[in-house]
Amino acid sequence: MNVVRKFCTVPHSYVSRNLYRKFRFSAVNYDSTAASQPQVQEEKYDFEDLNVIERTERRKAKIEPFMKNIFVSVFDRELLAYPEIINKEENENLEQRLTAIDSVFSDSKKTADDKRNILKSTKMYAAPVSWTRNGLSANNTESLMYLDAIAQDFQLAQELSDHWVGLQALQNGLTHDQYSMIIDDLISGDNTIALAIKERVAERITQSDFRTEAEMDGQGIWHISGEKICNHNDGYILVLCAIEASRLMAFLVHPRAQGVTTKGPFVNFMKTPATPLDQIPESALAQILGVSRLHAATLCRSRLKAAVHAVVEYTRPRVFVGKPLAELSTIRSTIGEALLDIYASESAEFFTAGLLDGYVEPDAELEMAMCRNFMANHGLRSMMKLLAIPELDKEEECKKLLNDMRHLALRGESLDSVNMFISLNGIHHAGKMMSQEVKQMRNPLMNPTFIIKKVIANRHQEKDNPKLTLYLAEHLHPSLKPPSEQLEYCVLRMRFACETLMARHGVKVNTAYTELNRLAEAATEILAMTSVLARASRSYCIGLRNAEMEMKLAACFVEKTRDHVKKLIREIDDGEYLNLDHFTVQFGRKVLDTNTLLVEKPIARTFW
Amino acid sequence: MLFMRWASTEKRLAVYDPFDSLPKKTKKSYLEAIKIFEGQDTRRRGHVEFIYAALAKMQEFGVQKDLEVYKALVDVLPKGKFIPQNIFQAEFMHYPKQQQCAVDLLEQMEDNKVMPDSEMEQMLLNVFGKRGIPLRKFWRIMYWMPKFKNLSPWFLPDSLPADTLELATLAIQRITSVDPDTKISIWQTEEIEACLDKTWVVSAQSEAQHVLLSEQPDEEPLVVKGPFDVYLRDQVVSYFMLIGKTRPEFKDNTDDDDVSNIEKPPGIPGVIGTPKLPAVRHTTVHEQDNGTIVAICATGTSSRDSLLSWIRLLEKYDNPVLRNIPVIFTLTSPSNDIAVQETQPATEGNKTEKKNTSL
Repeated sequence: MNVVRKFCTVPHSYVSRNLYRKFRFSAVNYDSTAASQPQVQEEKYDFEDLNVIERTERRKAKIEPFMKNIFVSVFDRELLAYPEIINKEENENLEQRLTAIDSVFSDSKKTADDKRNILKSTKMYAAPVSWTRNGLSANNTESLMYLDAIAQDFQLAQELSDHWVGLQALQNGLTHDQYSMIIDDLISGDNTIALAIKERVAERITQSDFRTEAEMDGQGIWHISGEKICNHNDGYILVLCAIEASRLMAFLVHPRAQGVTTKGPFVNFMKTPATPLDQIPESALAQILGVSRLHAATLCRSRLKAAVHAVVEYTRPRVFVGKPLAELSTIRSTIGEALLDIYASESAEFFTAGLLDGYVEPDAELEMAMCRNFMANHGLRSMMKLLAIPELDKEEECKKLLNDMRHLALRGESLDSVNMFISLNGIHHAGKMMSQEVKQMRNPLMNPTFIIKKVIANRHQEKDNPKLTLYLAEHLHPSLKPPSEQLEYCVLRMRFACETLMARHGVKVNTAYTELNRLAEAATEILAMTSVLARASRSYCIGLRNAEMEMKLAACFVEKTRDHVKKLIREIDDGEYLNLDHFTVQFGRKVLDTNTLLVEKPIARTFW
Repeated sequence: MLFMRWASTEKRLAVYDPFDSLPKKTKKSYLEAIKIFEGQDTRRRGHVEFIYAALAKMQEFGVQKDLEVYKALVDVLPKGKFIPQNIFQAEFMHYPKQQQCAVDLLEQMEDNKVMPDSEMEQMLLNVFGKRGIPLRKFWRIMYWMPKFKNLSPWFLPDSLPADTLELATLAIQRITSVDPDTKISIWQTEEIEACLDKTWVVSAQSEAQHVLLSEQPDEEPLVVKGPFDVYLRDQVVSYFMLIGKTRPEFKDNTDDDDVSNIEKPPGIPGVIGTPKLPAVRHTTVHEQDNGTIVAICATGTSSRDSLLSWIRLLEKYDNPVLRNIPVIFTLTSPSNDIAVQETQPATEGNKTEKKNTSL
């Protein structure tokens, strides 16, 4: 009986489902749109301290990591409903603080002290600290909003971003007593926390990459020695050290600790006593410190925004051939492209913040890294184009903007190393799921039937025309159907790209750097596309101001990015000879070996 | 009887060689001899013989690599006379002896790797016309020679240095170009008190070799092997290698096809690499089947004593491990007698270090 049921109903339901889909009886899928329905919210109280109620956490159940799953072409369609984290009451408080901050920061007459004071009075230095400890208990979404306003002052915003991340790490890493002892000083705003993570690259082959070490002396006090690259301003420093020659642990160095010397961007530690953050494992530390990447994206975006404003201010009053300069279509399109980048980055940042705040045990380290890389990569390019408009008239201002952007884009790490992090994590995840398949693909003679099946299954992928089976359009506004199909195409190509890479390199895929770079870039663009579509759809559906503009922005962005992703993945599929990696790598190697440009001058001769 | 008829005919000929009588064998005198021949006779009788004689003497005068000399020889041939005037002449090799002579001249140029130029083409055209065999030879030369000229990945200057020390440095640079990290040092054996041979040592060691040497086990002796030859055009330089034990091969038991747990980075922003000390597991280019090459050198005398000094110098300059490890000299022949004895000081004081910039 059961067998009969299985045979009759399962295929039938499958067929009917697809059939309905084809004919757009979308009401059949009413159940899958639950994501956009209001959630029943559970309230959680911190019963340890009944006098003050801790902030309510409204998190949904744990979900699979979103971007990691994209690497195997699995798309969580629920997430196309753009996350809404903040409720009405919180929003009012947030707006209040933002107005206060903005009024000071947007006023060019205010001094640095004024700015610091307003930050102190709005408890910005205690933003991530819990209510019970006199903080704001701000979540990531709120932090981004604050940072957005503060980012008008570049230095202060950077300092604050480090401070917040440091506070978060201390909260998790220190014991309750230790934390209580220093928290009041930390949130006063006089001593901020600087992060000291990055080191110089090793100069000898016998040197390890990470050389700052911590040792415990006889009395149980940790001492750290080494050198770090860090923007340090006499406050606390959170230093990452190696212990027992292989593990990493963060340490807190107090202000005016002995043995700390600063020389330019380098800070030296000589047997400096430090407090260990031993409550927190390495992976959790990575999650917490990873938030600084999200902040870096916001800061980058604010710089690009500043550049757009500068260019507009320059262009408006000027004239070219008797017409306003602003009528020049090249200038208009450059600014339009910058707007696309800003829009995409903003969507991706708040989307990621939503992932971090909206779910239990979020795994969004990849998304954070992607936000950073997306903005750093596109921002630098856009910035160069934008700053070509004021030309030499505003050289000093341009220089400053460009330098800030460059500084942010390389903040603590380069694009390539972040790209490596993204793609290796992605491919690690994909490897776990596809290991059996990859093993068979790498041993074709042992698995002939599998290979034939694979050839047939992959025939659409080989033609660069996968069957669109994700039906993303069902979760978006109907007018976004074409862009959503483009996104779907990109997502579906990812699994094929991972499969190709792993089948080609096996376990040594972690050294195919140029191809991994492409994979990371493609995935980054997919995150941006997803968040842009989700945001535009939300805005349009709830009728935000200028929402129709957002729809156009989204469609444009997705269209443009689809081609880029298509090219990236085709290059991965082509391999090193067709995408010319093999050759460029060789040229580079020769130049590195000889430090010459290899070629003779164009007028050189072998005989006369 | 038949032969008797010729018996009385004396065929002894007194050969007059214009080059033999010259007191100084230089390029100048060589060119002068050609000028004298050209001036002797307006009809230039015997120019073919003269050119063959001149070609044979080139080595003696040391001008075999000089394009100007070859041009002067071509200039000896009369202009215009050998140019075919009709298709029969052109087809049936007009003035074959003269044409053959010019071809031989070009061949000698080719053998000596002298690249002709377009002026030479013009001269040959003037002598033999565009259908001449020498012109065809010239064009073939000009097809291939430029292609071969810079084919070697190891660049050498047009004229090799006469100084043996510089030559040895070039040779060592060429050998060590496998590892661009190699440092080449020029030392004097005088620095070692006990040395007998006062000469120079060109020694090369890269950072990786330095580490490999420091990791050599104390009980296993190192071996100095050589001399091996390296050719720089027609010059030979002997070099020696200090060879240590090869490390046991690193066995990687991981399955290349198993991608279920690909290594991933720690993910803390700013952290790249690992906090662990790097284990140099994969084999370097210095580790060959017959041993690990830990240093390489050429000395002024290639003698056993100079090599001993080399080992002591290596020890002195940052390889203290050599104090404890025994070194065996297995030289294929004691080349003390053969090598040119030369003791000249290095140009830049006692110790000069050059970064390898060959290629």
